[in-house]
Amino acid sequence: MKFLVFSDNLDNGKQIMSYLNGKGEFVVYTPDDSKEYADYGASRVVYLKGEHQAKPISELIASEIKSNGFDFVFITSTVTGRDLAAFLSQAINADIIPEVFDVKLQDSKVSTKRYGLGGKVVLEEESNGKIFTVIPGISDAVPSGTSSQVETKEIQRGNVNILSVNPKKGREVDLEKASIIVSVGRGLGKKEGIAQIEPFVKLVKGELAGSRPVCLDYRWLSEDRQVGYSGRKVKPKIYIALGISGQIQHIAGMRDSKIVIAVNKDKAAPIFQEADYGIVGDLYQVVPKIMGYLS
Amino acid sequence: MPYNVIALIKQIPDLELIKVNSSTSEPILEGVPFRFENLSKNAVETAVRIKEKYGGKVTAILYGSDRGTPVMKEAYAMGVDEGFIITGYQESNPRLTAQVLAGKIKQIPHDVVILGNQSADSMTGLLPGMISALLNEPLLSNAISVELNANSAKISSGMEKEVLELEGSMPVVISVAQEINEPRFPPVMQIIAAGRKKINIEPSSIKGNDSTKLLSRKAPKSDRKRVVFEDIDKGAQEVAKVIKEVAR
Ligand SMILES: Cc1cc2nc3c(=O)[nH]c(=O)nc-3n(C[C@H](O)[C@H](O)[C@H](O)COP(=O)(O)OP(=O)(O)OC[C@H]3O[C@@H](n4cnc5c(N)ncnc54)[C@H](O)[C@@H]3O)c2cc1C
Ligand SMILES: Nc1ncnc2c1ncn2[C@@H]1O[C@H](COP(=O)(O)O)[C@@H](O)[C@H]1O
Repeated sequence: MKFLVFSDNLDNGKQIMSYLNGKGEFVVYTPDDSKEYADYGASRVVYLKGEHQAKPISELIASEIKSNGFDFVFITSTVTGRDLAAFLSQAINADIIPEVFDVKLQDSKVSTKRYGLGGKVVLEEESNGKIFTVIPGISDAVPSGTSSQVETKEIQRGNVNILSVNPKKGREVDLEKASIIVSVGRGLGKKEGIAQIEPFVKLVKGELAGSRPVCLDYRWLSEDRQVGYSGRKVKPKIYIALGISGQIQHIAGMRDSKIVIAVNKDKAAPIFQEADYGIVGDLYQVVPKIMGYLS
Repeated sequence: MPYNVIALIKQIPDLELIKVNSSTSEPILEGVPFRFENLSKNAVETAVRIKEKYGGKVTAILYGSDRGTPVMKEAYAMGVDEGFIITGYQESNPRLTAQVLAGKIKQIPHDVVILGNQSADSMTGLLPGMISALLNEPLLSNAISVELNANSAKISSGMEKEVLELEGSMPVVISVAQEINEPRFPPVMQIIAAGRKKINIEPSSIKGNDSTKLLSRKAPKSDRKRVVFEDIDKGAQEVAKVIKEVAR
């Protein structure tokens, strides 16, 4: 079998490559530093030079598919990846299964798993899908011990003008590797609350994370600390949720944690259904108490 | 300068009200009402703010069922001028959804089409690209702010690692991110007025041939202990013990 991969997310892209390794020949297209992908088993890594735009990249990939023939296309689920997948599916008239985290290929049929109802259920489907957008976690990233040939292709200009590019700040944290995560939600109430929680994070030697409102809407924490469906998928030994209600999109990112501890002042908060240990109370009272018993 | 804006609205089951059957792990959808999909609300808010700033008209299209009527009324109350519900929605068929919506959009003169970047229930994120491809109109993706000029639209696009300023000529498709705005709660008077306004309901004439077969739809198993303490002191003591054990 022949696969084509588009990746503009290093971690996810390497996971997809590791998943495909041994299943057939695959080529990777990326606007990232192509060397990063060179030791994950691809027959070729194609560096896409030029403006990072979904439509022209889809045109380039569609023409590669027409001339080289590929059985399946795997695309990282990113803003550009999802747009690209949509354009490509129209261009080559192929079915697409979005946001998968598990794929089994049998001849022309595929069976896939993805979340439905906002993360409440897992949909297991069989289809003629040829294109997949893939969320993180399809496999562990494992270098293949071989080295791929690297080449460059130029992306044509698209029908959108890029007027400026401003990098977001925020350093990368390795939440996926943390063994204890202390995660705060809207229940924190104020930005200054972060400083009050930090000593606790230090004491348990954990990493600080947050729900989407905390990271995206209020920006009390940087975006790379957002846990959930559209953030990081984490599986620490202990996940401590402080003032997080436990909406399904949040749960989708921490469901694989070994032990979940929740503090919430609302006894009916859904997070208690997803917790091993829950404390009903004000986080500003509960956290110092836990710290007291720890030291 | 006034603009004709189209906003796309999805109706979704009220996710928080869905219970799971404890013996089969399957979701119980009977009797669960439909509500306004989250990002669709941001899309409508964006469209209405454009009208308030520049003048023009907002048309909303919802491909769903006639159970979407309350959602469209809510959109009217937010400031939508005319609404179309196309019935015959088939779940998990984004290509069909895009085809139906693009077919309707083509019949309506427009400068801008606005939709969410990723819907809250199915989260496919495919509609923006597919609609843009079918209409052959440029896609400005993941907007966190929008500004319109004579013949073009400019947005700030919130990508994973950077914020881009993007520009495209009208007619243009814009997908919005949740951060773009805080959708309004319409005043009671507007809600009452909206209730009397006519909604156009049309059946879809396009049939989809979806090859996708659902093998199972189950809530992931959750084997949590669910030990909940209402006594803060006891709870803190127990939790500290658990943390100590793991940290060792
Ligand atoms: C497409 C899509 C993707 C999404 N992706 C994500 C995602 O990746 N991650 C994510 O987190 N969300 C995501 N969301 C948003 C999600 O639906 C919820 O809105 C969000 O998770 C709620 O965050 P929260 O629990 O912090 O806030 P809330 O739901 O407002 O909960 C705050 C909680 O704090 C409690 N509280 C208040 N004060 C205190 C106190 N002093 N002490 C203790 N408890 C207190 C309250 O009882 C309440 O339960 C997504 C939504 C959509 C539509
Ligand atoms: N059935 C539908 N009818 C109208 N608009 C829709 C429909 N499905 C999706 N949309 C729009 O497309 C956006 C993205 O949805 P999706 O691509 O399915 O994740 C939503 O936020 C809506 O604005």
